[in-house]
Amino acid sequence: MSGRKVKHVLLVAVLTGLTVAGFSGSSMAQEPIKLGAIYCFAGPCHMYSESAIKGIKIAVEEVNAAGGILGRKLELIVRDTEMKVDVGAREVKDLILREKVHFLEGPCSSGVALALQVVHSEYKVLRITTMANTEAQVVDKFTPYVVQIVPNTYMEAIAATRYLHKRYPKAKKFCTIAPDYEFGRREEAAFAEEIKRLVPDAEIVYEAWPKPGEKDFTSFITAIMAKKPDAVHSSLFGGDLVAFTKQAAPYGFFQKIPFIALYDLPVLLALGEDAPEGVMGFGRGCFFMDPNPKMMAFAEKYRQLHGTYPDSWAVQAYDGVYLLKAAIEKAKSISTEEVIKAMEGLTLDSLRGKFTIRPLDHMGTVPCYQGVIAKDPKYPFKIWKDLSRIPGEEVIRSEESVREIWKKTGVVR
Amino acid sequence: MSLDILFNQFMSGIARGALLFLVASGLSLTFGVLRVLNFAHGSLYMLGGFLCYTIWGHLLLPLFGFYIATILSALIMAASGLVIELFVLRRLYHRGWPEQLLATYALILIITDLVKWRWGGEFLSVPRPKPFTGAVFLFDFPFPAYNLFVIGLGVALAVFLWWLVYRTHLGDIIRAAAHDREMVAALGIPIPWLFTWIFVLGAFIAGLSGAVAAPFGAVALGMDIEIIVECFAVVVIGGMGSLPGTLLGSFIVGQVYSFGIMYKPELALAFIFMVMAVVLIIRPWGIFGRPER
Repeated sequence: MSGRKVKHVLLVAVLTGLTVAGFSGSSMAQEPIKLGAIYCFAGPCHMYSESAIKGIKIAVEEVNAAGGILGRKLELIVRDTEMKVDVGAREVKDLILREKVHFLEGPCSSGVALALQVVHSEYKVLRITTMANTEAQVVDKFTPYVVQIVPNTYMEAIAATRYLHKRYPKAKKFCTIAPDYEFGRREEAAFAEEIKRLVPDAEIVYEAWPKPGEKDFTSFITAIMAKKPDAVHSSLFGGDLVAFTKQAAPYGFFQKIPFIALYDLPVLLALGEDAPEGVMGFGRGCFFMDPNPKMMAFAEKYRQLHGTYPDSWAVQAYDGVYLLKAAIEKAKSISTEEVIKAMEGLTLDSLRGKFTIRPLDHMGTVPCYQGVIAKDPKYPFKIWKDLSRIPGEEVIRSEESVREIWKKTGVVR
Repeated sequence: MSLDILFNQFMSGIARGALLFLVASGLSLTFGVLRVLNFAHGSLYMLGGFLCYTIWGHLLLPLFGFYIATILSALIMAASGLVIELFVLRRLYHRGWPEQLLATYALILIITDLVKWRWGGEFLSVPRPKPFTGAVFLFDFPFPAYNLFVIGLGVALAVFLWWLVYRTHLGDIIRAAAHDREMVAALGIPIPWLFTWIFVLGAFIAGLSGAVAAPFGAVALGMDIEIIVECFAVVVIGGMGSLPGTLLGSFIVGQVYSFGIMYKPELALAFIFMVMAVVLIIRPWGIFGRPER
């Protein structure tokens, strides 16, 4: 073999090697992007978590059918926290270390969310929180590895308070009733803050704190009625709100006292005919709260698949997948740090309209919804009328206020 | 504070006490005779609620549907009670407390998963039956008619159990067996079958109370643990295994909770357990209970 020929063979070998390397490189790129969905399939969270998974699955299928993200398929791995802090911490660790997920979505319970946050932040894995809405995730205990796209306790309560005030501007004497844990405490603190801002001489004459899962609200109802308030703000939800509503109705409670609570789709479905017309509700965004074409198309698709209408939890979980897709495509990478950077300031055209992830604390400017319970001939259950959609920009905690809390809790950013 | 407001709060407490008595009486009865603390009593109550919802939904009888569903749920729970007694509890009478606790706790887990599998995690609601849909006026203040129905049922159950235990031959045997089961067995009375039927009665009461609680609030996972904790407070205060004690305990817990909510809502639940602690210090066997021999 002449020297020239050797050179030629070598060149071919190198070129082949490069091509093969390039090929294997692109076949590497075909490996799926793993999304760990960690939700709470127990107690009051069970049903919400099932909705969320259904929403996520629809989004994942759509994304994969359209060619995936950066040409890579999205793979879903579902885990259950059993609504327990220790199980949640164990499962999320397993998702990260053994399943090697790239991103996380979930959970349902606010308490579990704060426990997960410690673990996945340590391993530098990003979690999109679509359901657990305690503000502590992005404010008090901020870490860069969380993005929140559900109206948090602060935004939700501020928005509901403004709606209540708009409808009953003369109300001065208030009572509150809320489940006695992280979520209820934070919602009512925000209500107290906002109502005193709107009505300087407002007075909260009675605060009721039933335990989560309370079955008998009779004593609370008579105690509230004895105080003769101008209006009642409540963050009761789910089965508790169903029980409260049924027990309060015979007292003529809803005719006598303006009342606002989390009357979303599952509660209205469970109450059926017992849902009190004219009572105010707030919620996080489902088809009857925001009947835009994109939302209605999703609702129809979901209904054909599952035979029921999707609730807000399915909507938010679905939006979470598309937020991830948009951020990865903007970053052109699945490196956590680069995706986080891409997410900051990103605007998503979601089922609930456009919202933006605020760079400071990773809170999405997601809208909050309010309305009045009413019959609609189109549906076999009651929905809302007099719809109100308050954009997140109007109710999100100010950056100064966030920084002030960070000074107290020791967050440096 | 005006009198009508106090009266109203008192009535709320009575309604709560009545519901607690419905559940706790079955728990106390089985404990009094069998000397087994059935942790799963709350789970039978929860199943009663879910069954009532499903049967009511299938019947589609606006007038009597709920009442038929209630009786059927109670009967189905009684049958399940028979199975549980024969296959689980019967093997535990001679064992210690730890095994009994473990076995009944296992039942809680099994029943919870059964409910999850059959009904999912949804919370369900049964509307209030006619003629108890509205309110009645007591001294010009509205009071939910269904609460009156629950109170009435509580009283009826108390009278029935009193009659059964103190006025019938079977009652004599029940009381004798609670006192000294070897002696009763020596007299030729088949103790195992007595235990079976008492447990079946307890399960019937649990199913009945769960069905009756369904229109009261919502039927949901977790309602088992929620009620059993308060029932323990009731029977500890009143005295384990004592019928008058359970009645008094339900009354006390209902009133303490109701007025606690009015004056210091954050501590309403704590007050119940403070009363329980005081009773345990002064009379560890409860107000009407007998000290363990």
